[in-house]
Amino acid sequence: MQKDQDISAAEAAVIMQDARTRARKELAISAPVVYAAWGLVWLIGYGGMWLSVRGQHPYRAPAGVSIAAAFVLAGFAAAAVLVVAHRATAGIGGRSARDRRIILATWAVGYLILLTVSAAISGSVSTRALAFADFAGPLLLTGLIYILASVLVRNRPALALGSWLVIVSASCGWLAPATMLATCALAGGGAFLLIAVIETRLGAHAS
Amino acid sequence: MPAEDELDPVIHAPVRLRVMVTLATLRDGDDLSFSRLQEVLGLTPGNLITHLRKLEEAGYVTTAKSGGGVTSRTSVSISQQGRKALETYTAVLRQLLDSASTGGASPQ
Repeated sequence: MQKDQDISAAEAAVIMQDARTRARKELAISAPVVYAAWGLVWLIGYGGMWLSVRGQHPYRAPAGVSIAAAFVLAGFAAAAVLVVAHRATAGIGGRSARDRRIILATWAVGYLILLTVSAAISGSVSTRALAFADFAGPLLLTGLIYILASVLVRNRPALALGSWLVIVSASCGWLAPATMLATCALAGGGAFLLIAVIETRLGAHAS
Repeated sequence: MPAEDELDPVIHAPVRLRVMVTLATLRDGDDLSFSRLQEVLGLTPGNLITHLRKLEEAGYVTTAKSGGGVTSRTSVSISQQGRKALETYTAVLRQLLDSASTGGASPQ
């Protein structure tokens, strides 16, 4: 058994620094990994759909294969994020666990509502209105959830990202469907990747 | 309670210092299961229990048991008093290191 040892102040400072670094590494969800995963989903998923509609005159819809690819990509990202989050938060209870449940439930309910609305209005509204619900809707929902998460966990990068996504998705209301896809891919996916870089730098600075 | 310019002897031990710092990285209102804390710190259960008992006696951490049988879970969290004590400890440590670097007495 490790007994109490007489340690100097300098040794204590080193122990504290090591313990803090290790705890942050082991017990915190890696924000850069999460942001980068979703950034690539938006960038490649929406980018692929945009490439498939670029030559359509008039616009019809993204190619089925590009939609399927986006869903597969999102599925992989969701699985990866869940694994990373589960590893980091295993054993942590209390307020954070409650907040995670709130955020997950909001995602699930929000996307269910979005899919229901999209199915309900399909065929009864203009192509542009449907494109807004299908393409900008998920980005808008994601932005609102990041704002909610930022309030719960007091995280400024998440607030900045959420606000930006809401602005980008709202501005899609004035865009044609193809431009909407390109905007969501670049301004949405790009913002996620930018925040991933910022979080990496903040993490390096903190340790 | 230690004097204001002394390192708190309850915290000033390698294992207890690591326990306190680890628990302090959690958000207010969070707790950590005993087994996860043990895994993060790489300690044996007996060793961790001994040090947690000392910290609990000082009012710096709280432990709670929930469930029963195979679902039994012991959780550990840092108390407000513990956070404050760690803040004070850190401030005193910084002062000692500063005074040592400016040619003061060697800190212990």
